[in-house]
Amino acid sequence: MAFIELKNLGQKRDGRHILSGVNLSVERGESVALIGPTGAGKTTLLRLLDMLDKPATGKILIDGVNVTSSEKERLATRRRMAFVLQKPVVFNLSVYENVAYGLKWRGLDRHQIREKVNHILETVELTKYSKRNARTLSGGEMQRVAIARAIATSPEVLLLDEPSANLDPVSSAKIEDLISKIIRENAITVIMATHDMAQGQRLAHKICVLVNGEIVQTGNAQQIFELPKNREVAEFVGMENILDGVVATNKSGLAVIKVGGKEIETVTKFGAGKEVSLCIRPEDVTVALARLSSSARNRLAGTISWVAFNGPLCRLEIDCGFPLIALVTKRSAVEMKLKRGVKVYGIIKVVSIHVIERQD
Amino acid sequence: MKKILGILLVVVLVVGLLPLVAGCSSDTVDPLAAKVRLKVGTTTSLYDTGLWSYLEPKFEEMYDCEVDILSLGSGAAFEYAKKGDIDVLTIHSKADELKFIADGYGIERVPFAFNYFLIVGPESDPAGIKDMSPADALKKLMETGAGTFVSRGDNSGTHSKEKAIWAEAGYDYATQVVGAGDWYVEAGGGMGATLTMANEKNAYTLTDMGTYVSYKSKLNLVPIVNSGSILLNVYSVIVVNPDTIKTLKHADLAQKMVEFLTSPEIQELIGKYGVDAYGIQLFTPCAGNEPTQ
Amino acid sequence: MAEIWNGLVEAFRLIFTFDPEVMSIAGLSLEIALSSVVIGSIIALPLASLIHFNNFRGKHILVSVIQTFYSIPTVTVGLLVFVLFSHSGPLGGLDLLFTPTVMVIGQVILVMPILLGMTISALSGVDRNIIDTARSMGANSWQTMLVVLKEARFAVIAAVVLAFGRAISEVGLAMMVGGNIRGFTRVLTTAISLETSKGDWELSMALGIILIFIALVINIIMNRIQQRR
Repeated sequence: MAFIELKNLGQKRDGRHILSGVNLSVERGESVALIGPTGAGKTTLLRLLDMLDKPATGKILIDGVNVTSSEKERLATRRRMAFVLQKPVVFNLSVYENVAYGLKWRGLDRHQIREKVNHILETVELTKYSKRNARTLSGGEMQRVAIARAIATSPEVLLLDEPSANLDPVSSAKIEDLISKIIRENAITVIMATHDMAQGQRLAHKICVLVNGEIVQTGNAQQIFELPKNREVAEFVGMENILDGVVATNKSGLAVIKVGGKEIETVTKFGAGKEVSLCIRPEDVTVALARLSSSARNRLAGTISWVAFNGPLCRLEIDCGFPLIALVTKRSAVEMKLKRGVKVYGIIKVVSIHVIERQD
Repeated sequence: MKKILGILLVVVLVVGLLPLVAGCSSDTVDPLAAKVRLKVGTTTSLYDTGLWSYLEPKFEEMYDCEVDILSLGSGAAFEYAKKGDIDVLTIHSKADELKFIADGYGIERVPFAFNYFLIVGPESDPAGIKDMSPADALKKLMETGAGTFVSRGDNSGTHSKEKAIWAEAGYDYATQVVGAGDWYVEAGGGMGATLTMANEKNAYTLTDMGTYVSYKSKLNLVPIVNSGSILLNVYSVIVVNPDTIKTLKHADLAQKMVEFLTSPEIQELIGKYGVDAYGIQLFTPCAGNEPTQ
Repeated sequence: MAEIWNGLVEAFRLIFTFDPEVMSIAGLSLEIALSSVVIGSIIALPLASLIHFNNFRGKHILVSVIQTFYSIPTVTVGLLVFVLFSHSGPLGGLDLLFTPTVMVIGQVILVMPILLGMTISALSGVDRNIIDTARSMGANSWQTMLVVLKEARFAVIAAVVLAFGRAISEVGLAMMVGGNIRGFTRVLTTAISLETSKGDWELSMALGIILIFIALVINIIMNRIQQRR
């Protein structure tokens, strides 16, 4: 039995489904990242998890007990959790009082509260601001107050909604360090929402991709990155080339797929005639001026239609009957004199191509 | 949380301590030491002369009670009494008093003092009515419109008296006098307020002697008309009938008020009241007898 | 002009010699206005929170009605209270007409719309995330309400100050249901009204100055409370 189990959880707003059929198991001590584009339902799901809203359908089990039944149960459950909201709001009180509130509500005495709050403020490096009004702090500092407030109550579950959104890169990194420190030191169960794929990868054991109110894929970072289940996940994890085609032949797994008049070889279980999409990361496309004899089976001839430099990298598009985006280092782009109109080959290894069923 | 409570506590303390600091109503609002409160509705003319402020403590001391004096026009005083909000009336509107008793609201009408009404006005006497009879004076005011007249306009005893004079002069008050012109002003206030207003407007007004004398030093108004039997002003005390108004609780004490006002000792005080201060007798005591000129 | 000057001189003499009558009138005024506002706040703050935190049919209409009553004439409240507490009225048996108690009752009714309406708008001004944050930190509904009230405290204090100002400065109600009885229900405003009608400017001015002074002191105190944050 998992620690937290969501069964067929759904939520409606203004009669519209914004979350439906969510099933998820979270083990004690596990950290889970909910990733997905804005509006996918991440915040809605977190609010349901924290018992702030009542679900339209389904239930939440904690240690096998249905905790959504009564308000009393919901409050008791909420007090085992902590939730850091996306927009850091602090009470118009001192930093100390902000952190102390949750403890007061749980009936701790003044002495216990002082000890605990001072310890937490040290953890989040805000001791020197203890007496300052929290409203006067910077965004990053406010977010640290919010996190301190959350962990002060020693929750079993920590819910984080976009913990570093709206912050500058330095503050963002600081918050991320703080969160990973908390996860490391407290063996706490964490469920966080983020639209930053990389952050999910850095902080979570398990990643759930949420699109249009549904969990479309759950897995570890590698599975999500390399084997997206459908077009939306593929787009979200950075598969910039998603090519629609039809399976021409399939000989015991090695298939030829027709895409825009060209043939691409890859490995797939789909049989001849199946409509599929090929997902290829731009960094997996090698650019060559000559038809090299490499082990790669796919060599697609085409003309560069645009080149864009971006720091040490260079992104370019090859028109080979369909647009193919490739990512090369700036150095090789300069060496090869890559620019618009140059004829090149896009080379793709069979294993770099992930085939998914085409959706309507 | 604690601070809000703290603020609240301070506020409550301040409220609680105020009576002590101010040294005022700690005995009057403390329910444990609550004394019987006798409510006396009085015509403003008795109140504004200060007579009640002078007599009130004596009665309170004598009967160990609190007397609440409500200074009202006679009209309002009758209405409050009919609703049971007043225990005893001191009033000066004979016709209304008799009707009040006939309707069963009052027990008995006991006159206890009298003086005279007079018409006062600016020394220049713009309407030229000095020393005329009251009815002729008002008639001339109406015909010439040469002066301003401020009426109480509040159904008080003084107002009733004014209406009686208009009637004698041959006018129907409601149709011919009210709204007769800009010269006729209805003040709608107590006697003192009306005198103050007449003074500001350089106008004539009908006043009782007592209030006029006690206000005289602040006024530029002089007596214009002060003779005529119609100007007799009798003050009576009436106990509101507890058989009609069942909610009344202090009828016995109210009866004591009648005895008090007509007692020789108090009658003497009433007769002397104001003599030292104004050099003139404000009230003539009449101990239960209807005065006849 | 001389009269006004003499009035002022006499006024200050009455104030600084702590004239017992002036002090008792001022004390009663303060006592009645403060009692009204404290009692009114004790009723209004939770009630306003209740209205704010619950959604029900007709809520908007209710709030509009409350706001309409901000400027209810004092004499209208006076009439209502008079009719209720007159011996011929439904609450006549309580024997409260022409007492300070009924003046407090009247003033509580008078300031209730201001306290309710302004507290509701103060609460509406609080970021909705504050409520979510409080709840997520484990506050029950009562604790949540207190947090939001505390967040809105400056605006709530402003409401209380305004209510006090209305209570201590009103004359119609105090005159009608209090009866302006000397030493019992005579407050600053009714005394000023009476003394002015009697032409007794000195006392009126002294009382008027005290009234302004009280308002000033209360506002200073409230400002200090607000500035502590």
